[in-house]
Amino acid sequence: MAFAGRPALAALDLVVEPGEALALVGPSGAGKTTLLRLLNASLAPTSGTVCVDGQRLDELGPRALRAVRARIGFVHQDLALVPNVRVLVNVLSGRLGRQGFLAGVRSLCLPSRAEVARAAAILERVGIGEKLYQRTDSLSGGQRQRVALARALYQGPAALLLDEPVSSVDPARARDLVELVAAISRERGLTLIVSIHDIQLARACFPRLVGLRAGRIAFDAPTGRVTERELAALYSLEGLERVEPAPSA
Amino acid sequence: MSTAQRTALDLDRLRRERPRSRLARASLLGLVALVAYSWLGGDIALDDLFSTRRAENLARFLAVDAAPHALRGTDWGCSDWLAFAHGLWQDRGYAGLLQTLAISVLAIVLAGIAALGGAFLAARNVASPTPFGDAGRPGWPAWRVVAPLVRAWLVLLRAVPEYVWAFLLLAMLGPNAWPAVLALAIHNAGILGKLGAETVENLDPRPLSAWRSLGASRAQGAWLAALPLAANRYLLYFFYRFETCVREATVLGMLGVVSLGYWIQDSRAKQFYDEMLAFVVLGAGLVLAADLASALVRRALRRGA
Amino acid sequence: MSNPRPPPDPARRPFPVTPRVSVAASLLVAGLAAWLALDAPLARLVPESGGLAVAREFFAAALRPALDYEAPVPAGTPHILAQALAAARRTVVFATAAMSVALVLGIALGFLSTSAWWSGELSGGAGPLRRLCARTLGPTVWAAARLVIVVMRSVHELLWAVLFLAAFGLNTAGAVAAIAIPYGGTLAKIFSEMVEEAPRDAAWALRGAGATPLQVFVFGLVPRAAPDMAAYSFYRFECAVRSAAVLGFFGFPTLGYAIAQAFENLHYREVWTYLYALVALVLAIEAWSGALRRRFVA
Repeated sequence: MAFAGRPALAALDLVVEPGEALALVGPSGAGKTTLLRLLNASLAPTSGTVCVDGQRLDELGPRALRAVRARIGFVHQDLALVPNVRVLVNVLSGRLGRQGFLAGVRSLCLPSRAEVARAAAILERVGIGEKLYQRTDSLSGGQRQRVALARALYQGPAALLLDEPVSSVDPARARDLVELVAAISRERGLTLIVSIHDIQLARACFPRLVGLRAGRIAFDAPTGRVTERELAALYSLEGLERVEPAPSA
Repeated sequence: MSTAQRTALDLDRLRRERPRSRLARASLLGLVALVAYSWLGGDIALDDLFSTRRAENLARFLAVDAAPHALRGTDWGCSDWLAFAHGLWQDRGYAGLLQTLAISVLAIVLAGIAALGGAFLAARNVASPTPFGDAGRPGWPAWRVVAPLVRAWLVLLRAVPEYVWAFLLLAMLGPNAWPAVLALAIHNAGILGKLGAETVENLDPRPLSAWRSLGASRAQGAWLAALPLAANRYLLYFFYRFETCVREATVLGMLGVVSLGYWIQDSRAKQFYDEMLAFVVLGAGLVLAADLASALVRRALRRGA
Repeated sequence: MSNPRPPPDPARRPFPVTPRVSVAASLLVAGLAAWLALDAPLARLVPESGGLAVAREFFAAALRPALDYEAPVPAGTPHILAQALAAARRTVVFATAAMSVALVLGIALGFLSTSAWWSGELSGGAGPLRRLCARTLGPTVWAAARLVIVVMRSVHELLWAVLFLAAFGLNTAGAVAAIAIPYGGTLAKIFSEMVEEAPRDAAWALRGAGATPLQVFVFGLVPRAAPDMAAYSFYRFECAVRSAAVLGFFGFPTLGYAIAQAFENLHYREVWTYLYALVALVLAIEAWSGALRRRFVA
């Protein structure tokens, strides 16, 4: 998978190979979420291009665009689950992008045994298999996050994007979660891109770090080669213009 | 994309033990049964609707009755029709429209004022021995029964339809505007009182208890702290109810108060269905205008909030 | 709206005139003007001696509703309580049938009058079909649905009933339609508002997973609004029961018919028997919806 973006936030070139795992680090407002949404084709860049699997996203029709989105799992920072339905339904809804309308209605309302088993297996893998039939809003924040992860995995994605997965859980659980995501991605050969502001965690779990600062790439290197000075510069307040980078779609 | 399909989970057990609400299931079943019964129970005669008698009735209504009676049988044109409509408007339409509007405005203002008192007396955080979560010495214990009593009273006011209230009041006060005004005011006071009480109960308790701890009395807390906090919401409800008031004010005229409904009923009794139709359309126009005005005010209130 | 305003001079504006203050003040003025425009002298608020007697008798009857007919009735007439029960049953039947039609109308028209599914906001991508939908087809359908809703809503259910009476004659299906039409319009309006105002986060997520706009709408937006929609439908059901009762005044066999009959015969205690039956129905529905709300929203 390769991206070459030149979004309005700043000049930006980024190439990600299939099966690679990388962490986007940087202070809040650096453009991490915007970048992830560009990669998922949720946002269109005002200039420049985003390519997925060698296809330019701006050249795709709606159908092809949906097919690309269906292959990219996205775990939102605010989780974006439907709270008042069972966990199972939230997980099953991950596959809507691969189904027609009526097939989607059928599988969400009357899931087949195979679909339930598949969803259960994924929930079990993320550690909350027993919660299959619970209402989503009866779960704790950490459990809900795993539901959102399970929904993205149920999509059957080739790539997984996580936006600030540790912002809503305590540090010990955060580490568990990031390690779990990294392990699952390795098992399944998924491309993994995680935005994260906890540098220690990023260094511990990811082989490649991309530093974003004020919408520009500050560094892009294997974890071992990122220096303390680069990291310190990334988070220093000096010369940092606090503008929220938001390219219009 | 091979994913592990096997799982050690006992899916059947999880499914059996899934949390289920007996109430929700019973409600759903009950509703389905109720709907089925209502259609199939024999009370609603659908076949009767498609009989030849009905068809003749409808054909006559559309072809003959609904056409202006003054022009029936003549070869009338658009200007004739306009003259007919203009005559109706000058004769009764304009006055009826104005009366309808005045009835609904006076009624909703009276209801709004009456419900304001009711709302505070029905709110459990105001009408209690310990208002606003007061931790101090409890006040007069009789406050305990005030909120439930006022609530029951409000239920009675709103459970009886305005039409029935008007029917009663007409027998007592005779034919003038009051029966319609009071009927609307009573019913809407019941509804606004309930909505207002819920608004007051849902207020953030912290500013209220802060007032209380500064030594404010119950009445001061209610009027000077709770009222400003609840006012916008209350006004929004007020304007929603105003919209229904305009609709009902038209209809209440059918009982004998001179609003548009009076002329609708009058032309219905004389079987002047052309005039009846014209007055119904006029009433619809008034309702549209009132909805529009109310929507504009509500938007201004939301912005100012 | 975000224009920087000069700071208010506290000496010149001792009392802040917010929109709600000016609205409340103009309401009082409007109420006064309305009163002056009406034939409503304060003296007429006090019932005349005849009216006073009626009032006294009527409210005294509230404390002892009739448990048997106040006057001899033809042999074979069922007991008054059975009569009240039967009228209450028919009231519920009419209200239920009307609500079931109104819900179908409300969901269909509410869907068509919601801009969320065609505005392109939830779709992204720009095929020719989608463009047609967003620029021409969607707005046209939306405007047409709005117009239909407005027409349905702007005529009161009793006036619909009167129109149907004139067009068809006395027919129970006409009564059902008379309630179903304005209620369907109101449900459609409120449903579409609820869906438009529902949180969009889950919808965005489904969109990001490749779902079509229609799927996003049905599975991402509607479930978020569903509890409110259900609560509102229950409230309208309660209103429908009241409306069905009032339709009795026009000859349909609901509680209103019994009330009007008893009234004309000056049998106020019987009136109260039927009124209490109506109050009980309304309270039962309120308790039912309240129990559901506590279970699911708390």
